[in-house]
Amino acid sequence: MSLEIVVMVKQVPDSQEVVIDPVTMNLNRSLTRNVTNRADENALEAALQLRDKVGGRVTIVSMGPPQTESTMIECMARGADRAILVSDRFFGGADTYPTGLTVASAISKLEKFDVIFAGEESSDSSTGHVGPGVAEFLGIEQATYVSKVDYEDGLIIAERELEDGTEVVKVPTPVLITVLLNANIPRRQTLRRKIDAIRRGIEVWNLEKLGMPPEWVGVRGSPTIVRKMRSIKEKERAAKKIELDQIPELVKELYEKGILKLEESQ
Amino acid sequence: MTGLQNAKPVDNPDEYRNVFVFLETRGGKLQRSALEMIGVGREIARKVNEKLVCLILGKEVSEMAKEAVEYGCDIVLGAESPDLADFRTLPYSTIVADWVAKEKPNIFLIPATRNGRDLASRIAVRCQAGVTADCTELDIEPDTRILMANRPTYGESMLAEILCKKHRPQMATARPGIFKIPEKSPAEKPEIRISSIKVDKSLTGKKIVEFRKKEKIDLTSAKIIVSGGLGLGKKENFQMLEELAREIGGQVGASRPTADLGWISRDHQVGQTGQTVRPRLYIAAGISGKIQHIMGMKNSENIIAINTDPNAEIIKYSDYVINADVNVAIPRLLEEIRKYRKEHAAETVVP
Ligand SMILES: Cc1cc2nc3c(=O)[nH]c(=O)nc-3n(C[C@H](O)[C@H](O)[C@H](O)COP(=O)(O)OP(=O)(O)OC[C@H]3O[C@@H](n4cnc5c(N)ncnc54)[C@H](O)[C@@H]3O)c2cc1C
Ligand SMILES: Nc1ncnc2c1ncn2[C@@H]1O[C@H](COP(=O)(O)O)[C@@H](O)[C@H]1O
Repeated sequence: MSLEIVVMVKQVPDSQEVVIDPVTMNLNRSLTRNVTNRADENALEAALQLRDKVGGRVTIVSMGPPQTESTMIECMARGADRAILVSDRFFGGADTYPTGLTVASAISKLEKFDVIFAGEESSDSSTGHVGPGVAEFLGIEQATYVSKVDYEDGLIIAERELEDGTEVVKVPTPVLITVLLNANIPRRQTLRRKIDAIRRGIEVWNLEKLGMPPEWVGVRGSPTIVRKMRSIKEKERAAKKIELDQIPELVKELYEKGILKLEESQ
Repeated sequence: MTGLQNAKPVDNPDEYRNVFVFLETRGGKLQRSALEMIGVGREIARKVNEKLVCLILGKEVSEMAKEAVEYGCDIVLGAESPDLADFRTLPYSTIVADWVAKEKPNIFLIPATRNGRDLASRIAVRCQAGVTADCTELDIEPDTRILMANRPTYGESMLAEILCKKHRPQMATARPGIFKIPEKSPAEKPEIRISSIKVDKSLTGKKIVEFRKKEKIDLTSAKIIVSGGLGLGKKENFQMLEELAREIGGQVGASRPTADLGWISRDHQVGQTGQTVRPRLYIAAGISGKIQHIMGMKNSENIIAINTDPNAEIIKYSDYVINADVNVAIPRLLEEIRKYRKEHAAETVVP
């Protein structure tokens, strides 16, 4: 048995260093460092574990600007076999629809795919829509918010973490799986693999290779637009200082204002 | 199946009418998120004099349909089949997409829960339309009937207003715990349309082989929450919070790292990756107030911070600040509350 495994990876601004331009309200990208989306590292690790168990090949696919190469090399240094960067100036400004379409279109060009992994969401747009969108474009099954993946008798067994419990599903391939942040501990990059990855390089595909009209992708292919941005005005709070010896008065105030209620006790 | 197709603007947006909401169920019961969807959907529909249409899928849905009507749903579209007992992507998205194609709603709201997002992203692509994820404010422009979908961005510091002018339906997912559960207010001439469905075998390849229900602590409906952070210093100190919570009829909450360390179970976690709460009183003991925590509790009516650091971020979100060690402040608070309760015991109405 041998599985063709794909991992969808996105490069994102390091959230610790996000700088917002006070005039345009846009992200000042020149001041932010780019890193691999954390949940995608967990998706990659899940893919590598599956490959190591069942056999097969792991291909990374990302849509992004040329600097995404560093993320692709990093993924190869962790153990991915092949990396395809889908990059073209036409792809800029895409919302989730054309992003999914572009990534799905690239995956459909692969000879075969059995399991596609994505992260649960990206730290910068945090929609979680791109993964399932790709599954819809490709017309395949999906299992989202997965903490554990196994493979037996030709079926993927995945544990989905829902708000009210854990759902275990069995799905035939091909299937798309979105992996939870911190679902596993991503293995380290090795120097040997890194050197090898840099030597081999990555594949870069442009719009022509995908064969789609330019108005289908990027900002022109996006149904949604941002009309405006405003800073979130928090309710002003008094932050009234209470010294330890004023706690009796605080308690009195809480009960008198009905914030605490005498009848509410267990 | 959509195939590799682009998003398609519609030429006749005026033909699209009414507000669709997807109602989540579990074990034949409407979930809290379903009521939240009815609440926000109803408000938007009333503003433009349109109908609120609720979608319910399940093994049997008539009881749930009646409940939806009591909350103000004008039309219920129901689909029944043993294959629909639990949410599964392909059967659900296929039926829902068929309804959308037939009924042409102007707006479609889905809860941003895990299954809700699982569904919404597929429906958006299937309808070749746009979707705005995880909205915290939703409103409609009365004259254009354009949905104004607002979602927090840049680490919750900004709110982006997102429009989808040319595609229909205008879809959004709504963050759970943000929209209020509405008062009951039955629709005037409700219409319930339930059909039994035969689900195609090609859609049921995914089998749910097990569901391990979490003994869930529901903080979202708690009136009082006493929450602890790393400032508690050790696991045992959560007992102190439990004692306080019991005394004032509250529940215990927690910051994420305390759950990571196993001081308390994950079900108590408040914040971006935990529960979003809005109690009457939130006590934050030894919690610094990082944005991911604040996101989950900032809408609490009253907030008390107990923190040794006079500059902790939590302070600007607080109504009262006790600048002291939790090991001193919590026992003092408990003692004073007990004293007060004893002195006023006579006022308590004995049921
Ligand atoms: C993607 C992502 C999602 C996240 N989701 C969540 C989430 O859902 N919920 C969440 O809570 N966090 C979440 N976090 C983590 C968050 O960023 C913070 O790390 C976390 O909230 C901090 O927890 P804390 O306040 O308990 O600890 P700390 O930040 O370490 O703060 C401890 C506080 O206790 C005070 N203190 C210390 N000793 C005492 C004492 N004796 N008495 C009184 N005060 C004392 C200190 O002054 C300090 O303010 C998330 C992070 C990421 C990256
Ligand atoms: N530009 C992209 N290229 C490849 N994969 C992506 C891209 N954007 C998002 N993804 C994948 O989709 C997941 C969800 O992203 P999002 O829908 O943006 O929250 C991410 O964790 C990635 O696995």
